[in-house]
Amino acid sequence: MRRPRVFWGESNASLEEERRFGVVDMLVVAGLAGALFGGLRAAHEWTGALRPTVDIDLSPRALPAYAFLSMSRGLIAYVFSLGFTLVYGYWAAKDALAERVLLPLLDILQSIPVLGFMPGLVLALVAAFPGSNVGLELAAVLMIFTGQAWNMTFSYYHSLRTVPADQREAATVYRFGRWERLKWVELPFATIGLVWNSMMSMAGGWFFLMINEAFVLGDRDFRLPGLGSYMSVAVARGDVPAMVWAVFAMATMIVFLDQVLWRPVVVWAQKFRVEEGGQAEAMRSWFLDLLRRSRLLALLGAAVGRSRAHAPPRRHPPHVQPTSPGGGRRTRWPSLLLFGLLLLGLLVGTWRLVLVMRGVTLAQWGTTLGLALVTLGRVLLATVLGTLWTVPAGLAIGLSPRASRLLQPVVQVVASFPAPMLFPVVVAGLSFAGVGLGWGSVLLMLLGTQWYILFNVVAGATAIPADLREMARGYRIEGWARMRSLYLPSIFPYLVTGWITAAGGAWNASIVSELVTFRGRVLSAPGLGAQISEAAARADFPLLAVSVVVMSTVVVTFNRLVWKRLHGLAETRFSLSR
Amino acid sequence: MEAPLCELRGVSQSFTQPNGAPLPVLQGIDLQVRPAEVVCLLGPSGCGKSTLLRILAGLIRPTTGEVLYHGRPLTGLNPGVAIVFQSFALYPWMTVAQNIQVVLQAAGLPRAEVATRAAQAIRTVGLDGFEEAYPRELSGGMKQRVGMARAFSLHPEMLFMDEPFSQVDALTAESLRAEVLDLWASRRSQSSSILMVSHDIKEVVYMADRIVVLGAHPGVVRTVVENTLPRPRDYRSPELLRMVDRLHDIITGHELPDVASPTALAGPEMEPLPTVSTSEIVGLLEYLDARGGCEDVFRMATDTGRDFGKAIGVVKAAEMLELVDTPKRAVALSGTGARFLASDVAGRKALWREQLLQLGLFRQLRAVLEQQPRHELRREQVLELVILRLPFEDYERTFDTLVRWGRFGDLFAYDEERELLSLQ
Repeated sequence: MRRPRVFWGESNASLEEERRFGVVDMLVVAGLAGALFGGLRAAHEWTGALRPTVDIDLSPRALPAYAFLSMSRGLIAYVFSLGFTLVYGYWAAKDALAERVLLPLLDILQSIPVLGFMPGLVLALVAAFPGSNVGLELAAVLMIFTGQAWNMTFSYYHSLRTVPADQREAATVYRFGRWERLKWVELPFATIGLVWNSMMSMAGGWFFLMINEAFVLGDRDFRLPGLGSYMSVAVARGDVPAMVWAVFAMATMIVFLDQVLWRPVVVWAQKFRVEEGGQAEAMRSWFLDLLRRSRLLALLGAAVGRSRAHAPPRRHPPHVQPTSPGGGRRTRWPSLLLFGLLLLGLLVGTWRLVLVMRGVTLAQWGTTLGLALVTLGRVLLATVLGTLWTVPAGLAIGLSPRASRLLQPVVQVVASFPAPMLFPVVVAGLSFAGVGLGWGSVLLMLLGTQWYILFNVVAGATAIPADLREMARGYRIEGWARMRSLYLPSIFPYLVTGWITAAGGAWNASIVSELVTFRGRVLSAPGLGAQISEAAARADFPLLAVSVVVMSTVVVTFNRLVWKRLHGLAETRFSLSR
Repeated sequence: MEAPLCELRGVSQSFTQPNGAPLPVLQGIDLQVRPAEVVCLLGPSGCGKSTLLRILAGLIRPTTGEVLYHGRPLTGLNPGVAIVFQSFALYPWMTVAQNIQVVLQAAGLPRAEVATRAAQAIRTVGLDGFEEAYPRELSGGMKQRVGMARAFSLHPEMLFMDEPFSQVDALTAESLRAEVLDLWASRRSQSSSILMVSHDIKEVVYMADRIVVLGAHPGVVRTVVENTLPRPRDYRSPELLRMVDRLHDIITGHELPDVASPTALAGPEMEPLPTVSTSEIVGLLEYLDARGGCEDVFRMATDTGRDFGKAIGVVKAAEMLELVDTPKRAVALSGTGARFLASDVAGRKALWREQLLQLGLFRQLRAVLEQQPRHELRREQVLELVILRLPFEDYERTFDTLVRWGRFGDLFAYDEERELLSLQ
């Protein structure tokens, strides 16, 4: 039996000692003041008169303000994503009827590239707030949202459905109500998955920042002040120093968010670990340590705790129905009403989509399908290329505890960097080497999506059981034989997850990698992504609708036919936990 | 006799299998929990004892039959029950104190009382000083103490325990049993009762006033044994050991009929296959051989560290194959069994094959396979055959056993990828 926390009292005492008003508290106050000022600035921007196109100042001095505006858009979008996740995921997990519609719908939403949402969002919101910037800002925020929300929702739904049976039963026997069950059991259980997916989502949200802040819709040119539009303008004017500054600012913002937001959250989330056993690796965050030393925050926390303690207790324990033998997720009538509204909305939406697509000729449908196949080829090629380098690299990182400790945080930050910001450099290199965008776009896709494969390979490599590795070493299975008999089979399930995410990302990335503006010239490669970009720019809504529908259909079909099967194979034949 | 706290009348329960056929788990159960008593449900694995506990707790609604609480039909959860779980069911993100407090909060107690009651419960189980520890820092025994403190803190009318000590090491389990009985004795005036599910005969005799012996497939009440041994009881007292022996005899009397007639199996009716691996059967034979060819079945269960239900399954399987005999409570190596042990690998396989073909299921399966053009059958086809012949069995498990046994005797080959069974 391990003696827990022998030094608990002592360490606590030393903590108390450090909690004096001091430098830390001054920093906290300064941080709060800064956030307040920034918030006011952003609010001013939002409520200002409608200016569809802002002149972007390309001097480096303007960058901090732009970076702040972009960051606040990303964070607001994240708050929306989290809210959406909590509601949508809960509904899908708790209501067996709604689940049948909500899950496939989520699959479809995930496959729609941001430009598919853009015209609807922009036109509707700008019309809803005439004369103020709110509509346009909200549209930009919601476009970022479409890059963030879906995988968080999947993760949350999955967690809710996999709460261990004994924990669910204990909650029932001890009469937790719906809210208590959520607060004490389900949310804590879902937290770790939600935190990791939040980090991925935030990175995914930045991917289209350049499009989200600066876009053309027919004869209207929209531009919001921010880092993305700064970069767009710099690229359009071919201003290399400005591009470098923008890349630098973006990198700073990502590192800042990682250190001040995500690290502390990840460290805090460790307490929701379910698995037993000692700490695999104690994670630390200097920022969280700093905050914990603040006397001011401790006082605030205590005050909140006191006010909660005075809250009245719940009077009546809820009446809990036993489950019927079939397993009981029943649909109640308020939920039925919501479900009806959902179906109605979907029907109306589909009908209007059909109306929009009426004018498209059969030949155009045919071309679109052909282009989809070309893009599918690029997506698969990008996935294969990504696999070729990430498998050895990921194994090297994952199999060495030291390398994974040092490199993993670095890789995480690098992966959050929006690849389209690097496209100008790559395109310049490609045109220098004489490679056309037809093949070059594969490289651009790869740039954005290889990380997903790398992450998963690293995770898979760290999860290979020590006894299997020792066996391979003990019996002198080396080189390719070890790769084939040990490494590849044991990372296969992780690899499949990586492929699915990477391919999804590559489809989305096709809209920016098959059509690139470089030094005032428009380079394009035949493909569905290029067609979507062109259709959006020309405000050719029928063609845009058709292209998005085709892309979504191809993606979802391919998921069902190929990825799902590989996933099944991974779970039955290559799972290490069975 | 006092009125029971809660009661089952003619309760049956069946679950729906994936193919739509019902799988009966419990059949015609009558059971009472009376005030101030310790009732234990004893039975082999698969007799539905945990399901029974969950029906009484109101977690599961039975397919048919009545559940009464103080004479009235029970709707919803049983208000008088707190459960101690086999797997502890603690929330890993809450400290020991929080794990107990949330339960009291959910019961609607005022804040001040929540704190005092939780502290009191923690003291009662001897976990002072561990209030702020997280469950992952605790050993199995300490975790179960938290589970017990959580249940006690509510002062329940009935304490339900679902194999509470099976995941705790033997010594700790012994002390926990004594502690539970002490606590129960100190609160006996409040007419609180304990219902415990267990497969450990000694544990049951040590704890229970009344022992409900269940039989499996589907679960039925075999008999109820009143245990009037004076408390405190001693594990080594001759009275207690006699009681243990008596229970052994009751269980074996049902589970291992003396006049087992394997020849009857050759008829159209088929005996279900116990889910037992070939190595377990061979292991049993080796075990018996090492002990001069004969051993008491309970001794064997203890020696092999197996729970009793599992051990019985292995003996049954060996008996079906005529590798052992079961005179009364003993298990003895048969002539065939001795010959099996004396053979080399090829000889063993041949003998095994011969014995398999004594069983109707294998014979018939071979006949069907021989009729096939390529001597192959898809998994679903075999499953259908099994369902047809053994409608009350878990067909997937039966299939797995079938494949294992057949492979060992070189009778069948099975291709997992293509799900094809073929004749060897």
